[in-house]
Amino acid sequence: MTDTTKAPIRLSMSVIGPVLGLLALIVAGALLNPNFLGWDNIVNVLARSAFIGIIAVGMTFVITAGGLDLSVGSMAAFIAGLMILVMNSALPALGVGIPVVLLGMAVALAGGLLAGLLNGLIITRLGIEAFIVTLGSMGIYRSLVTWLADGGTLSLDFSLRSFYQPVYYSGILGISWPILVFALVVVLGEIVMRATAFGRHCAAIGSNDQVAKYSSVRVARVRLMTYAGLGLLVGVATIMYVPRLGSASAATGVLWELEAIAAVIIGGTVLKGGFGRVWGTVIGVLILSLISNILNLTDFVSPYLNGAIQGAIIILAVVLQRESKAGT
Amino acid sequence: MGHDLAPVLELRQVSRSFGPIEVLHGVDIALQPGRVHALIGENGAGKSTMMKIMAGYQPPSSGQVALDGKPIAFASIGEAEARGISLIHQEFNLAEQLTVEENIFLGRELHRGPFLDKPAMRARVRELLAALDCRVPPERRVAQLSNSDKQMVEIAKALLRDTRVLIMDEPTAVLTRAETAVLLRQVRALRAAGTAVLFTSHKLDEVAEIADDLTIMRDGAVVWTGLAAGMDEHGMATAMVGREMSDLFPPKDSTPGEIALEVTGLNVPGHARDIGLTLRRGEVLGVAGLIGSGRTETFEALCGLRPGSGRVRLFGREVRINHPWQAQALGMCYLTEDRKTRGLLLQKGMRENLTLQALAKFDRGLIDTRAEDRALDQAIADFDIRGHRGALVGNLSGGNQQKLLFAKTLLADPEIIIIDEPTRGIDIGTKQQMYGFIRRLAAQGRAIVVISSEMQEVIGLADRVLVMRHGRITGELAGSDATEEAIVRLAMGVAVSAPQQESAT
Amino acid sequence: MKHLASGLALAIALSTPALAQEAETRVIGVSIPAATHGWAGGMNYFAQTAVERLEATYPQLDFVLATASDPAKQVNDIEDMVATRKIDALVVLPFESEPLTGPVQNVKASGAWVTVVDRGLAVEGIEDLYVAGDNPGFGRVAGEYFAKALPEGGKIVVLRGIPTTIDNERVEGFQKALEGTNVEILGMEHGNWNRDDSFTVMQDFLSKYPQIDAVWASDDDMAVGVLGAIEAAGREDVKFVLGGAGMKEMVKRVMDGDAMIPADVTYPPAMIATAIEVTAAGLVSGAPVSGQFIIGSVLITPENAANFHYPDSPF
Repeated sequence: MTDTTKAPIRLSMSVIGPVLGLLALIVAGALLNPNFLGWDNIVNVLARSAFIGIIAVGMTFVITAGGLDLSVGSMAAFIAGLMILVMNSALPALGVGIPVVLLGMAVALAGGLLAGLLNGLIITRLGIEAFIVTLGSMGIYRSLVTWLADGGTLSLDFSLRSFYQPVYYSGILGISWPILVFALVVVLGEIVMRATAFGRHCAAIGSNDQVAKYSSVRVARVRLMTYAGLGLLVGVATIMYVPRLGSASAATGVLWELEAIAAVIIGGTVLKGGFGRVWGTVIGVLILSLISNILNLTDFVSPYLNGAIQGAIIILAVVLQRESKAGT
Repeated sequence: MGHDLAPVLELRQVSRSFGPIEVLHGVDIALQPGRVHALIGENGAGKSTMMKIMAGYQPPSSGQVALDGKPIAFASIGEAEARGISLIHQEFNLAEQLTVEENIFLGRELHRGPFLDKPAMRARVRELLAALDCRVPPERRVAQLSNSDKQMVEIAKALLRDTRVLIMDEPTAVLTRAETAVLLRQVRALRAAGTAVLFTSHKLDEVAEIADDLTIMRDGAVVWTGLAAGMDEHGMATAMVGREMSDLFPPKDSTPGEIALEVTGLNVPGHARDIGLTLRRGEVLGVAGLIGSGRTETFEALCGLRPGSGRVRLFGREVRINHPWQAQALGMCYLTEDRKTRGLLLQKGMRENLTLQALAKFDRGLIDTRAEDRALDQAIADFDIRGHRGALVGNLSGGNQQKLLFAKTLLADPEIIIIDEPTRGIDIGTKQQMYGFIRRLAAQGRAIVVISSEMQEVIGLADRVLVMRHGRITGELAGSDATEEAIVRLAMGVAVSAPQQESAT
Repeated sequence: MKHLASGLALAIALSTPALAQEAETRVIGVSIPAATHGWAGGMNYFAQTAVERLEATYPQLDFVLATASDPAKQVNDIEDMVATRKIDALVVLPFESEPLTGPVQNVKASGAWVTVVDRGLAVEGIEDLYVAGDNPGFGRVAGEYFAKALPEGGKIVVLRGIPTTIDNERVEGFQKALEGTNVEILGMEHGNWNRDDSFTVMQDFLSKYPQIDAVWASDDDMAVGVLGAIEAAGREDVKFVLGGAGMKEMVKRVMDGDAMIPADVTYPPAMIATAIEVTAAGLVSGAPVSGQFIIGSVLITPENAANFHYPDSPF
């Protein structure tokens, strides 16, 4: 009864935190450079946020259910490499056209799903810490892509790339496909998290997996599904990524996992699980993208300090939330 | 009150508000050195708040705290501890992975130069534990200790600080009868050494046994205070509840029907062997035995919560259950004894908790939150759950949590319900309600198992009683044969009169 | 098998001292960074092919090749080579100058020959042989190309690599070559020799500056990202992009007369092969090879591009 007044305040403050951070960045950007709010720049930022964003939506579920996946960056690089290899080798048989692109997409989705299932199975069936399992698979995928590329870069056949390119660059009504797909993934993700039994079960497991078990929740299956879903979304992100530059190398997707995790946490999802929100993750992704965008658009600080500014803003965003949570 | 000694710690006209809500209304209490003071009242009566104010966890909103007759305002818990006041929480405040010794000296380690002075600490710990008549090795990890030993470690920790006032929040709630006896002996020793002891308990027989002084609270106010000898158990219950307590247990009026559950040769590795039992619709089967006798583990294995093997028939059909959701799908649910870490999500609201176990009922692709709200309304009405609807479940009182856990499990509509410690740590009024619910479920034709450490509960509630010892069923008692004495004999393995089938192991 | 053969050779050398002179196997350790980006990938490829070729040519030489993903791992590799393989010579491309200086100094003290490639050590005079690209020259050649290609002057942007001495030397050389011309550098940002990073940086440059005449991408991987960003924005004002290092795809485009890639500047990853070969020759023949060997940066144009095209290299 003493907490009746506390609950609503807590909620609204933790909601306001990240939104406020995003608004502050937008205002700062608009003041520092008039092109910041230009249509082109907005589209650029949203499109480049899409890869991390799509992955981060999947990561929100994994973290909410009390897990973690460090392998997504390497996984994306590996799937991109695999996709390019398959498409290049199928090219003579299929020719440039929709079938070969569909084949590539199928490879990406199947590869992602399999990779995610593999992580999830090892974690749930063998009961090994997610941190260790995905740290291991991170190394495996990273070195597999280096091996596939023979230490260099895998490049999509030039003519095929030109054909596939519109998937990144064009879209409907001037909004490119990555943004549309990102938006779709976010809307679906938000609905699943908020309004389905699966989302509720994720939060319950992350909150206390014993309680979930004793409440007849199929804990292992839900956990497995979060990793498989994340893998699938990595595949979706890769489908959007490959047409951009048409290449994959050992340098592809480096540190994406940390960016995705950072975005999830900035958005207000609890790192140790139990509470997650997809829309918050979107805000987290946008905050991260906008910081580097603004730093590029201005000569405000030495580029050597870009990392420091990013780090400081990430910590600040989370501190703001924590303080509002602790407030009262 | 006319005692010959001056009180060491007093509350004078203390009130406490949280936001606009006043939860303590001008209470007085005085603790005397060398006396045991019991504080009783229903859940939510304000006992915890009062103890926290005495131990410096919270300041009073108005009124005075007086130490040795002089008003004092504790700046922190640390200051109160430094003044010799220690509060032992119901949930142990121990680092599970550290040893007994490390826990006792945590934060006040003895040093010799830059190094820990381990020999000195060990000697002091032995001394303290010996004084408490506790035979736990100082190097044992706390995680491996029984609840009563953990309680002793908490007390040793308090004694290390030269505690003059020891405040204990329901110290016996998680203890067995034997463990309780040990604890009460220690309390007497402390009293003899001149310590002022305050404790709360829902077990009125204990209160009658050990308390010198008694304070009874209801709805944030003291309704009675005086010598404990001046009040009998019936009087205490009446004062706490504020109305005449009728019979605690409802009449056993249901008639057993078809066989619902039949278990033969159930083995639970490390916990129980060769368990066989039958359970009929409309029946309440009591399961008694000491803590550690394998009661909980047996029924957890039955519901797929831990590995086990054996033949299980539900309503005549042989089934194989490896996961709790399979048990639930077959109409059997287990209500855990541990509502805080296994039963409820303390960080979530009532609605999420209520529907977690039967979420499929509300799943129409998306969750039908309106149906959930209706279910919550229904549960609140059916089970008399009190508390703000938006509050986190962790902030509800123990009794309301237990009712919610009950409602949650019943939402899954099980035919067979296994209830482990249905009334642990809840007040007598709520207990009576819980007994009513359980009996009503039996009357509806459901089959019920009640596992309990409280013998009166088992006897008062159950149609038949199974007694377990060392992982085996050592006997079955029914009707007038189910007496405390008979249960204790079977539980302790001292069969005196009736020749039992039990083997010497 | 190789180890067994060398072990056998060593056994023979020990048991029959008379034959020792001819049969003595000498070990050359090669320590290089792992293939984490395009140029390093090419460098790994050239190191491997050089080792294979030289092992066939000189049966009395044995090679130990180790790739490291960070400086600490490289230090371990080098220590292991000395301790377990008793190397007679070390060819090292240091990950970073400072952390590798001490360990390489120890190798030198053990009496082995030391060849340092591409990145100098923090203390001078340790190495017997120094083989490197010409970083100030790399920047200068690029700068001179801009001065020539934009005689009327123009506005350009620069993508820099990972912040290192190499990058600083290149940019200084570039800026010096542009002194006195009308070419104006609008902005410089780090693209970290990475395609994705340079794509992002270039997109933002395009938003920030309405008119960009040309781009010095300073690296062929970064040029790929820059080209992607320009193409996406549909900007017609950028006349050309100059990369660097000589990646085969880029050299091919120069060869084909692509207007956006009119030229490239070499910084050959094959320098590691040069270093290994010279070291091996010095060890086998005893001919004097110590000193400095600087491989100049050359401008690749459509006329000479065929000479720089290695279709088999991964880079």
